[in-house]
Amino acid sequence: MKKIVLSMLVASIGLVAAEGTVPYKSGLLLPPQADKIYEKECAHCHGKDGKATSFAGSSRVSYAVIAGMDAATVAKELKEYRGGEKSNDYRLHNKYGYGSIMRSATKDLSWEEIDAVAKYVSGLK
Amino acid sequence: MDNKYIDKMLSEMDKDLAKQGMSRRDAMKLAGITGAGMFMGGATSASAADENKTVKSNAKGKIVIVGGGLAGMSTAARLTLNLSDPDITVIEPQELSVSYQPGQTLVGGGIWDEDDIAYKRDDFVPDGVKIVKEKVILFNPQENKVTTDKGTVISYDYLILATGLHLDFERIRGLEEAGRAMSAGDNERLLKALGDDGICSIYTAKGATKTWEQMQKYIAQAKSGKKTKFLFTHPSTPVKCGGAPKKIMYLTNARLKEAGARENAELTFYPNGGAMFGIPEYHDAILGQFKREDFKWHYRHNLIEVDKKNKIAVFDAKWQEKGPWDPVLKDYEVIPKHEKVRVPYDFLHITPPQLAPREVAESDLGSAKGWVPVNKETLQHIRYENVFSLGDVAQVPMGKTGGSVRKQYKVLVDNLIALMNGKTLEAKYAGYTVCPLITDIGTVMLAEFDWTVKPTPSFPLDPTVERWMWWLMKVHALKPMTMYGMLSGRA
Repeated sequence: MKKIVLSMLVASIGLVAAEGTVPYKSGLLLPPQADKIYEKECAHCHGKDGKATSFAGSSRVSYAVIAGMDAATVAKELKEYRGGEKSNDYRLHNKYGYGSIMRSATKDLSWEEIDAVAKYVSGLK
Repeated sequence: MDNKYIDKMLSEMDKDLAKQGMSRRDAMKLAGITGAGMFMGGATSASAADENKTVKSNAKGKIVIVGGGLAGMSTAARLTLNLSDPDITVIEPQELSVSYQPGQTLVGGGIWDEDDIAYKRDDFVPDGVKIVKEKVILFNPQENKVTTDKGTVISYDYLILATGLHLDFERIRGLEEAGRAMSAGDNERLLKALGDDGICSIYTAKGATKTWEQMQKYIAQAKSGKKTKFLFTHPSTPVKCGGAPKKIMYLTNARLKEAGARENAELTFYPNGGAMFGIPEYHDAILGQFKREDFKWHYRHNLIEVDKKNKIAVFDAKWQEKGPWDPVLKDYEVIPKHEKVRVPYDFLHITPPQLAPREVAESDLGSAKGWVPVNKETLQHIRYENVFSLGDVAQVPMGKTGGSVRKQYKVLVDNLIALMNGKTLEAKYAGYTVCPLITDIGTVMLAEFDWTVKPTPSFPLDPTVERWMWWLMKVHALKPMTMYGMLSGRA
């Protein structure tokens, strides 16, 4: 009996865990989930609130505050980071020297996902 | 199986034949084949074991099939016929997953309607097979588990990967907005990004309908006396049905001739490769057809950008030049060169770059190139012995057609059951594939071949000749064979 109860308990914990972490990945033709994309690709540097301007303990690295930026501007920038600058024969968009990092953060995103995440950034207060 | 569909298709075929003053029986005789043989798409010899086996295996195990298109669903059906106690789950999110993709060329050419190729997944789930209408996004082959987008974790004893492939329109600059797509689905975003100004692609079902609209528009332009340029591309990746990029060109040509507008049209083919077809005999035949129809072509041109506003297609063109003398090699160096070539178009048919779905490519089951690495003969995964793959996603040379699947799924089922019974895998796929190459409305060259890189005709007729007979087969017989033969696991 004990065993049965224990295994039921374990099973239910397993279910809860699975439910709490519905996985999401960008670039899989799923409807975009901007909050999850932001958390995975952006929050590490820009902060969960989009207001981080540097890495703790590294004063030489600095970022722009992105919270509340105009969605169309963010989308345009991200698309240029991802696909290169059309006006410049699709060369790397290397604003402030962050071109490579931004390209690696955006390379798995579709234009649809970029539009969604730009809207999310614009909504950060 | 629903006989009313077959009756309808056969009566349409009879009408078509009657126009030529023939009965179906005469037509079959003409081709030197029996009615049944033709209905089943030819009496090709399968390397898979005996087709008529009635003894069902008692092998046990939970089989999960990821992807319920033609490959996945046919495999499920055949497994239910061959196992006495099958435990099969198919995971497929797309409602129209079993739609008849080979018909998309005919929709693009205005011969069929979209309704003629739309088939619902739920009407083709074999009895006793469980269907999960979710999308697998994580593979964990070490623990024999997959996870869906809804968070459902499904474990398996045996896994079959039949996810199909993704059409990578977003790789073409100027079309990034289009994103990636699969053949079925509304693909609204893709169609919107392609626009209404001459760009089209028969590689999605909706896109095929749109191709016919665009084609009519530019045929009318040519008919009005304006010189009109029709461009057709073929990318640098493997593609579904290597003949389709040319079939739609032939159909455009046929419609132009029909409209009396051919002399104002210029039709040009821009393939990435250096030949019309991988099999020399078929290459020669197609080249002859191209010359006869006054087509132009430029090899080694890969579409990399579309300037929609100015209607210019940009190709990366490659060639080689003789370099300086190399004293060690005692020969001249060969220097690869490439440049961007800008070509104005009125009508642009795009065959998009194609790749394995990212969730497969980036999992432990994908290869460096994304496709699922399997033993090309047994279709067993090279690292995980309880995993098999077939169809478009499998890394099998020349294998991305429904005709390939028709051979592969029988081999796979035999081998999977052998594995479940602890026996050696004896069934072998030999690379057979088939491309009924439409060369005009009313003629088809039936290009059958395998890894011997030689024509492997199923019928005692010159395979490089275009025939009305094969047109009848393509338009009337192959669909019922696929939809009611293969999808019930029998053909």
